[in-house]
Amino acid sequence: MKISVLWLQRYFEKPLPSAEKLAEALTFHAFEIESVDIVSPQDAVLDVKVLPNRAADCLSHRGIAKELSAILNVPLKSDPFRDFLPMNDLRGRSLGISVEIADSTKCLRFVGAVIKGVKVGPSPAWLKDALEAVGQRSINNIVDATNYVMLDIGQPMHAFDSGKLKSENGNLKIKVRDAKKGEKITVLSGEEYALPEGAILITDGNADAAIGIAGIKGGKPASITEDTKDIIVEAANFDGTTIRKTAQALKLFTDASQRFQNNPSPELPAYAMRDVLKIIADIAGGELVGVVDVYPQRPVHKAVSVTAETISKRIGAEYSDDDLAGVFKRLDLAFTKEAGVFTVTPPFERTDIVIPEDLAEEVGRIMGYENVASAELAPATGTPDQNRFRGIERMKDMLVEKGFIEVSTQSFAPKGDVILANPLDKTKPALRPFLKENLAEALERAKLSAPLVLAPNEKPKLFEVGSVFSKEGEYLALEMTERVPELGFFGVPAQSIGIEEQEELGKEDFELKRYSLGPYKPFSIYPFVLRDIALWVPSGTDVGFTKPYIEREAGELLFRCDLFDTFEKDGKVSYAFRLVFQSMERTLSDAEVNAIMEKVTSALNAQEGWQVR
Amino acid sequence: MHRGRLHPITIATREIAEIFSRMGFGIAYGPELESDWYNFEALNFPKDHPARDMQDTFFIKEARSTKHEARNVLRTHTTSVTIRELEKMAKSGETEKRMINPGKVFRNEATDATHEAQFYQLDGFAVGAPGEVTLANLKGTFERFYREYLGSDAKVRFRPSFFPFTEPSVEVDAWFEPKQAWLEMCGGGMLHPNVLKNAGLDPEKVQGFAFGGGLERLLMVKYGISDVRLFHSGDIRFVYGFDTAPTGAEQTRKNTES
Repeated sequence: MKISVLWLQRYFEKPLPSAEKLAEALTFHAFEIESVDIVSPQDAVLDVKVLPNRAADCLSHRGIAKELSAILNVPLKSDPFRDFLPMNDLRGRSLGISVEIADSTKCLRFVGAVIKGVKVGPSPAWLKDALEAVGQRSINNIVDATNYVMLDIGQPMHAFDSGKLKSENGNLKIKVRDAKKGEKITVLSGEEYALPEGAILITDGNADAAIGIAGIKGGKPASITEDTKDIIVEAANFDGTTIRKTAQALKLFTDASQRFQNNPSPELPAYAMRDVLKIIADIAGGELVGVVDVYPQRPVHKAVSVTAETISKRIGAEYSDDDLAGVFKRLDLAFTKEAGVFTVTPPFERTDIVIPEDLAEEVGRIMGYENVASAELAPATGTPDQNRFRGIERMKDMLVEKGFIEVSTQSFAPKGDVILANPLDKTKPALRPFLKENLAEALERAKLSAPLVLAPNEKPKLFEVGSVFSKEGEYLALEMTERVPELGFFGVPAQSIGIEEQEELGKEDFELKRYSLGPYKPFSIYPFVLRDIALWVPSGTDVGFTKPYIEREAGELLFRCDLFDTFEKDGKVSYAFRLVFQSMERTLSDAEVNAIMEKVTSALNAQEGWQVR
Repeated sequence: MHRGRLHPITIATREIAEIFSRMGFGIAYGPELESDWYNFEALNFPKDHPARDMQDTFFIKEARSTKHEARNVLRTHTTSVTIRELEKMAKSGETEKRMINPGKVFRNEATDATHEAQFYQLDGFAVGAPGEVTLANLKGTFERFYREYLGSDAKVRFRPSFFPFTEPSVEVDAWFEPKQAWLEMCGGGMLHPNVLKNAGLDPEKVQGFAFGGGLERLLMVKYGISDVRLFHSGDIRFVYGFDTAPTGAEQTRKNTES
């Protein structure tokens, strides 16, 4: 989520440290920061990657401010969730509206406010600037006010034009219900959506017409326009699973759905309503007729008990009672302490704190993981069991000794017994039933590139060890491009290698081959050119003496040079070399390579007693 | 006869297995086609929870039924092997165990030079009596691993993170001297009590850490490989893209017995 530093500053008396310092504080104690952008001379924006378990309270400026307050140990000027909540003043008037929730497991709360006579228009500069700083478009003062409150404290809200709703005996009715089979809605941006089963709608209860996809997006029919005079503002809470399923089915992911799918506290709507009503009164005027609050079941907040000892044992650092008390205070987690046991009652918005281990994390990260000294594990008792691994690796070593090259290929195949429901590549919808086809294809390609990696008298032979999937089940297979009869354990290629057999192989006394690897050298994507050259030299001339002449004259386009034939006759010896030319940058022409070969030939011929054949 | 070549993942896995062997870790395997239980639910991913969005999953059309379960997802991590190993522990009555689980995993996401839909993961865990295997031990284990694998100047740092199966959860960064940079290498944390309970263990008696990270990524950093898609391309030019030589006294056996 994009967080404006200027916006955060409103939460603090003292000036905050630089954006970089804030990013660092959050990175090591709370959340990863994707980017820090300077958006204006006064403001910087942090893109905070809020973790899934904190999306309920930290997809908001207030949430991030609260984190920073704990991390930096600087108090908040005021906390909207602890400030006075004047809901009682708002209720009990004649509202002219009723709200009905069909299924209170899907809509946990609905707070609706009726305001008459607002003046819809552009937002004031402070509001426009605040939204634009975090990448939101300013729409009009009413919509902007609801968006501002969402970004400020994390509660998605929506405003409807109540003049477009059907009135019965002077009363409006909002009904929150499941979408009917085949029901459609046109959303604010104009697209029409057919609602999936289980989706929840905000409807005009008197007209039985959908006016919004609950928790996801508002509908076109009752949207706020320049002519809007009377409005209903909604601050509700919906079941996260329902919202998530609907958003996925519609492929419609919004700021609202992102928040609701993480089950923010149903306490939030009241605070959001308080804040938005104040802003609307300030910037759009109108008269607040009243607020209706349907809240069938308030959740119970359970206390969590923990001791300094259990946390110390989990983290592996020594924390004192004072450390715990300090962290809980900084995080604003109310606690009591008795005989060394801390009983913490998390505030309503911290829905993530449920078990003692959650508090261990809070202590660990606020005290700082950089202060957790690393400790090696105590020596293990007994011998670690790596037998199956050793058995599998032993077979690989045997094949490498026989000249085989190990390759790794893709597990997806055009055909097979096990079919993917959601393949990435539609031409390969199955899991490979055997390794044979991939290996045959790899061998064809290996033959083409063999001169680059193998000597002229070597032929590529490949093998792969990997899981295959057949009707009978999944098993680890070994496949070679050639049979190796003398490998007694598995004479038949591609047969299943039993797990017990692998373990037995691994138990024996032997050592796995170890290799060092040098830095990776990328291969050229351009074709190579082959040339052979044979050279008479006086008997007794070492081949190691002749090869550097070739390499030097051939220059940097020579990729490799191998001796492939030697014979002696009449006091002379003939060395035949295969030269492979290749460029990293382009396709080489025959003429170009011929010119190099002429250069090599004349250089060799210039040596006394040497003659290119 | 000329010697062939091992795939770089094989060579790296042997080196890694050896380092972990010296720290008392065995090696475990499990199926690539998994049940929802072992890949998600037992690991404390509730059904229809946003945490599942962190891992784009391949599903198969008809679940393959074995005696005990219906396998219908390609595992998104080899943490599925961890829970299977913990379950074995509960059955055998062991009270401590250390395992690494190298293996292929699958993520349904568009591929590019840094993303592959199939790659290898190195997961692992260590458990023992409460207080014996801590987050500080996770740090110590990785400090030693990176020192031995990446170089003696490697360092480790933790950042807070979230995984359903660990609490607390951390990201493990390694300082890589040649690049003069901290690199995000893997995730880890202390096993969530729900995971231990799901395995049939008592979280009051058995606790420990778990970790997991991409193997290709580690190799890409160490050897300067710029495209992850090369690993499973079946191309021998990639296998031969490294200078390689057998190394020193082959002590594998001795070390596992020490």
